[in-house]
Amino acid sequence: MAKTRDRTEDFKDAVHTSAVSSGYTESKLAPVMASFIMRKPTQRLPFTKASLKTLESINELEHFIVRHQKDYLNLHRTTEQERDNIEHEVSVFVKASKEQIDILKNRIYDEEKHENATRWLPILSDGSHADEVAHKHGVVLILSERLHSVTSKFDQLRSIRIQDAINRATPRRKKHSFPTTKSQEVLKSDFTEPEGLELSSGPIRVQNQLLDDETLALQVELTSLLDAVQETETKMVEMSALNHLMSTHVLQQAQQIELLYEQAVEATKNVCGVGNKEPTQAPPSFPCLDPWRTARPVINAATPPVKLNRPLASLAPSSFVDA
Amino acid sequence: MALNLRQKQTSCIIRMLNLNHQPNAGGATTGAGSSTEEVYKILVLDRFCRDILSPLIHVKDLRKHGITLYFVIDKERQTVPDVPAIYFVQPTTVNIGRIVADTARGLYESFHLNFSSSLPRPLLEELAAGALKADAVGRISKVYDQYLEFVTLEENLFSLAQRDIYVQLNDPSAGDQEIEGILEKIAGGLFCVLVTLGVVPVIRCASGGPAQMVAAALDTRLREHLVKKNNLFSESGTLVSSFQRPILCLFDRNFELAVGLQHDWSYRSLVHDVFDMKLNRVSVQGDKSPVKSYELDDSDPFWVSNCWSPFEKIALEIDAQLNKYKQDVEEVNRRTGGQKGAEFDGTDLIGNTKHLMNAVNSLPELTERKKLIDKHTNLATVLLGEIKNRALDSFCNLESEMSSKGSVDKNQLISQLKDKGTKEDKLRLAITYLLSVETTPQSELESIEAALRESDVDTCAFQYVKKIKSLNLSLNSSVASASKSNIVDWAEKLYGQSLSAVTAGMKNLLSGARQLALTRIVEALMEGKPNPEVDSYLLYDPRAPKSGTGAQLKGPFKEGIVFMIGGGNYIEYRSLMELAQRSQPTKHIMYGTTEILNGVDFVRQLQVLGQKMGLGSSSINPSQ
Repeated sequence: MAKTRDRTEDFKDAVHTSAVSSGYTESKLAPVMASFIMRKPTQRLPFTKASLKTLESINELEHFIVRHQKDYLNLHRTTEQERDNIEHEVSVFVKASKEQIDILKNRIYDEEKHENATRWLPILSDGSHADEVAHKHGVVLILSERLHSVTSKFDQLRSIRIQDAINRATPRRKKHSFPTTKSQEVLKSDFTEPEGLELSSGPIRVQNQLLDDETLALQVELTSLLDAVQETETKMVEMSALNHLMSTHVLQQAQQIELLYEQAVEATKNVCGVGNKEPTQAPPSFPCLDPWRTARPVINAATPPVKLNRPLASLAPSSFVDA
Repeated sequence: MALNLRQKQTSCIIRMLNLNHQPNAGGATTGAGSSTEEVYKILVLDRFCRDILSPLIHVKDLRKHGITLYFVIDKERQTVPDVPAIYFVQPTTVNIGRIVADTARGLYESFHLNFSSSLPRPLLEELAAGALKADAVGRISKVYDQYLEFVTLEENLFSLAQRDIYVQLNDPSAGDQEIEGILEKIAGGLFCVLVTLGVVPVIRCASGGPAQMVAAALDTRLREHLVKKNNLFSESGTLVSSFQRPILCLFDRNFELAVGLQHDWSYRSLVHDVFDMKLNRVSVQGDKSPVKSYELDDSDPFWVSNCWSPFEKIALEIDAQLNKYKQDVEEVNRRTGGQKGAEFDGTDLIGNTKHLMNAVNSLPELTERKKLIDKHTNLATVLLGEIKNRALDSFCNLESEMSSKGSVDKNQLISQLKDKGTKEDKLRLAITYLLSVETTPQSELESIEAALRESDVDTCAFQYVKKIKSLNLSLNSSVASASKSNIVDWAEKLYGQSLSAVTAGMKNLLSGARQLALTRIVEALMEGKPNPEVDSYLLYDPRAPKSGTGAQLKGPFKEGIVFMIGGGNYIEYRSLMELAQRSQPTKHIMYGTTEILNGVDFVRQLQVLGQKMGLGSSSINPSQ
């Protein structure tokens, strides 16, 4: 959809005309025009190379997830084991990418320190590298946002899987309470019949009786074990669901709450660190201390740590969305 | 083919941010090997282009396209090695000079230059010469003309962000050349809009005045352009039938002056008036809180559904939303046992986990809703305070009475002028009176002017409008006779005064916005039936052969673009949107203007004109 016009050709012509009119010789003109076609191969900074590599690996991760998405979600294509494998691989990948990003971040700080150390006229360091440093931070930020978006996509897949597991687990428990009682009744009725027929043969009868009793006892034990295992399984499913919750949502909340806490602490520093340290000792009629009275609730609110098991508490203040 | 300007402009900008490579479907940056080399870019803008981008893209979205930093071209910038830079600037001499300086300093690895409109030949040569001298020609990778020199505020609303056009066009001391320059600029901006939409419309305008001159200039430019092969409209060459080409209606502000000044009671117009909304952003100063800045656009669902509601309804709506939100939070708390005294039933543990998962998933949505409610509560509270201070409701009532009935209780008018309200409010009321009442006896005028002077209001603007009215320059279309419908006339004849008042009131209620003259004319133009009002309008068709008297495309048109030269506002926008919705079948209308002005800004422009004409508050010119 050509809604723009490429003027590069016009520009080239203009350069040519301008060169000719300012008396450039052929030898001078040739490299100028050639520079349009062939660009000087610039030396890529190691930082840029590393960041491009990290980006490639994150793209790889995304491809991997997309490729296995159908297998992962569809209940009948893969077993639980295979799904666990996929999850494991993804988490390894994510960890590796996160490490690479951290290395890049540390490299920025190291390079900055190195610059400051080698600069022997600190007066001249007027932040001439500020833009460059800002750009590098921007690169790291882009990478981490990209990784974040890929992992959140995967988290969504995982929550679908867990939701399915929970849904499967709930009716199963209810279903099983019936078959167990039914099977017990059936067993009992099975036993009453043969017993009535075998009254004549004495010791064999007793042996059979013993065997039957044992079998019955075993069956009861097995069914109770089955129940216990079922319960444990549902508890495991719940634990994985809660684990998933903790790792994604509550961590987010915790970050927000931390931010809130830090800001409140800063506010108190501004309020009471700079000013009068003992407002309680001044006479109450002293007018300029009235502001301290209203400031006290701020101090009290900042000191106790916010409890993490009330995620909804963070709904009250306005959220601090990262810029 | 529904024209969605905002989407088209956004996609053009995104393509530009991706170095004008062909965009991949889905937007994943897994392009060819060459494009992955230039992933991280720096964006350099000038102020005008920053205003273009600001309603369309947020800073965090920039990062999605690989932009790490963005700068304004004026600021001192430092070298960032190994990074390509995208420049998006207006083609001016100053900007070209800065670009040349930047390339000389070698600030960035490569320069991709994008100009918001076509780069004229002399500037291109200047750029070439400068780059050559600095031996930096190799650094300039690409030069593009983007044709994006306009600001899109909403899907159907755009502005050329050209300031003070009304003053410049009506300035008595303006020379012909200056005026021609201004009109060329307006035509250039409109050309950019048409290129982005990819349509060649049929242009209609009233004869005489700036509208005709702009129409002629635009027509010439389009014709010149269409003659070249491989022009920017070539892919839409198949759409020739009038059914699919839109109509472009050009109007001048003097056509309906009163609308530019009026107080309107809808939420959006109030916010625009009181908070001076610019580029969909407002800054609000609360009583105890610091200045907060809010964004009001399509991403805010409350705004989208309530922006045209009258102010009383807003408070109720906010209340309703707040109650619903509280209910939902209660529900979430209850289900997850967040309150004290909740018992965890062992057997239903898995049910609890399920509830917990649902609750946590719904938390982000709840936070968003709370933020929205807070924002609108804040806005509405401050707005209410202002309305009380300035008695805006009585201004609105008086003005709507005046424009619908054509007359008003004089005592009420005078008492309002002496009562609460800012100077601009009173001036606007007085000028609206002047424009909506047909005959203004001298005594009334004098009493009004006396009332204005009592409140220490500078009456330059009032004098200016008085003079214009006396010169009888095409202000007649907005006079009350046009807005009274036939029903009211007939009712008056048969049943007398009282019934006409009732029906007038009812008609206002039914139609929502008043029937503006602008809307009437646009409706007539789009229908294409013979109509005495619009038959005299000129028609320009850039696709038709110049000499031929071929079938003139007069409609009906399904799509229209309405452009107001000299400043438009949300009242007109709303009226046009309503026209589009109530037409059978639904039409699609876009509204554009040289700048979006609220009443305060416009009355200031009138004041400047009054001063230029030498009509100080001391001299009272006789009106006849």
